[in-house]
Amino acid sequence: MPFFSGEKRKPRAGFFKFSCCTGCGFELAYFQRSLEDTLKSFDFTFFRLAYSSGALEGPFDLALVEGTVTEPHQAVELKRIRENSAVLYAVGSCAIAGGIPAIKAGGRELEIEKRVYQKKLYRLTSMRPSVLSDYVKVDGCVRGCPPGRRDLEEALVSILLHRRPEFIEYSVCVECKLRGNICLLVDEGLPCMGPVTNAGCGALCPACHRACYSCFGLMSRANIPALKNKFRELGLSGEEIERRFTLFDALRLKK
Amino acid sequence: MKTKIGYLGRVEGEGGVEFEIQGGKLRRLKVNIWEPPRFFEGMLVGRRFDEVPDIVARICGICPVSHMVTSIRAIEKAIGLEPNENMLLARKIMSYSQIASSHLVHLVMLALPDYYGKSSFMELLPGEEALFKKFIRLKDVFNDITAAFGGGRALHPVSMVVGGFTALPDEKRIHGLRSGLFAAGEDVMDVFKTVSGFELPDLKTDSEFVALSEEGEYAINKGRISSDMGLDGEEQDYGSLFYEKEVPYSNAKKTAVKGRGSLMVGALSRVSLQSDRLSESARKLALEAGFMPGPGKNKNPFYNIRAQAIEIVHFTGECQALLDIVQSRTAFPKPVPKEGEGSALTEAPRGLLYHSYIIDRRGIVRKANIITPTAHNYLGIEENLRKLIENNMDKPAKHLQLLAEALIRAYDPCFSCSVH
Repeated sequence: MPFFSGEKRKPRAGFFKFSCCTGCGFELAYFQRSLEDTLKSFDFTFFRLAYSSGALEGPFDLALVEGTVTEPHQAVELKRIRENSAVLYAVGSCAIAGGIPAIKAGGRELEIEKRVYQKKLYRLTSMRPSVLSDYVKVDGCVRGCPPGRRDLEEALVSILLHRRPEFIEYSVCVECKLRGNICLLVDEGLPCMGPVTNAGCGALCPACHRACYSCFGLMSRANIPALKNKFRELGLSGEEIERRFTLFDALRLKK
Repeated sequence: MKTKIGYLGRVEGEGGVEFEIQGGKLRRLKVNIWEPPRFFEGMLVGRRFDEVPDIVARICGICPVSHMVTSIRAIEKAIGLEPNENMLLARKIMSYSQIASSHLVHLVMLALPDYYGKSSFMELLPGEEALFKKFIRLKDVFNDITAAFGGGRALHPVSMVVGGFTALPDEKRIHGLRSGLFAAGEDVMDVFKTVSGFELPDLKTDSEFVALSEEGEYAINKGRISSDMGLDGEEQDYGSLFYEKEVPYSNAKKTAVKGRGSLMVGALSRVSLQSDRLSESARKLALEAGFMPGPGKNKNPFYNIRAQAIEIVHFTGECQALLDIVQSRTAFPKPVPKEGEGSALTEAPRGLLYHSYIIDRRGIVRKANIITPTAHNYLGIEENLRKLIENNMDKPAKHLQLLAEALIRAYDPCFSCSVH
């Protein structure tokens, strides 16, 4: 009986990890402020970080998936998770944009692998990084590295309330203005990625006098050429500009 | 009898263990860390030195501060930048609060269910509701400190950069953090009492205890390499004292002490080697908990969880003391690219962490090497697992499996870090 049919039980949730730092898992199971409510409101039938038992097969009312897909077996597993889940959200920059593990997409796979392994090179099965939506339908994105708390709560609460979630879809500049920060880009000429980066962090970096480094990933309708032009005006070299745009979004710019 | 745990739960990252007992003998045992490699050392090449701390933070979701601090120190050595005293104090606060927080989640959420025979802490509710509430309160106290100094979040902090901090909390905020810590004193003691009440299995390890050592303080962010078998060296001697090798069945590499063998790093090694530099209250608790000062003592890897509880007490006190003296001003020398080479060692929550970089004159990374605590412990985990199983051959299979899992968790491994 699916959860959405109105049966009175806790929603069954699964949390899955691909290639990443497990930070989204720790955010959900440790760092966030509504930890007690989260753990008590859901029945986590698969969450390896917090439970040593659990069935990988589901079915799940909600699947939360973190990490970049960099191994063939992960793609297979992802499809199975999708089949067994009513709702699937991608959590964190790795799963949504490729994030840090996708930096390697900017170089030759073998060359990068050789810098780490010599003897067992032929045993490696690592492949070009890809995001969840390359393989399956994703019902929503909880952006951030680590995921923003407001969106994470929205993802959980919307399931509990049987409503459609509304995730943040505007730039860091909006949050920055609301905080009353002085603009680092305009006023100080710092190469801030805020104008093209999806909000959700609370404009943390500009608030501590640091240019945004785009850890929440590029927002969907970002005007990338305009910001690149601005950076050129500030005197940044093409290489320096490229590095800023490929820290968390190497995949999007390669496409 | 074959035992195979494909995906070990309640540890950080992906790994499993399998062993086979035949005719009363342990035939085969391996800890298979199948966590996918992300090739950090490979992808760091070509990035600029000031991006490195933000990149390496993403090696681990529970000890990002350690990777940041270690890389920052290595890079500062490479480009010849000397950080000022206040920045060093703030860095210590970051590291100490992160260690306390990391130990707390390990003790309560990851390790504790083993000693109650449960799969998760959640199965202990509502019976252990009081402990759960304390856990929630305490984690917020420690994480708030890391977050306040880290620019707004404890996980992947933003204000800590090469050279120093782009912002630090103001005095009012620091005062608030101090009050929070003060009020947490009793909860910290209760966690210690709960953990020291666990009945720990017997096991004697031959692994060499390795930890940093520093005159006059409990070494975390820097120190000399030291061990209970007389190892002694500077950070730059690391390569001549240890070696690393690839493992056919695992994505993590194994590290050993050259000419000797397995080592153990982490809270147990620190508490054993630096017991005289623990705070007075932590030292007293260590004695009460059965820790003996001196080499060759406390050689049971399961004691690591007790040592973590002692360290939570120690770092609670240390953070309070540092919050008294740290200042809000953030002036620090801006880093300029310069050709050079630098390596650094720190004590991450799980033990010795090594970062090393070669940087060219434009500030671009040409070579990177990172060796993590779990890679240091890997060989010892397998050795001691073998010993544990051989000592408990008479126990039923289910019991043996739980015992094996408990030992691996006692090391508090981080598989994401170990492969990276």
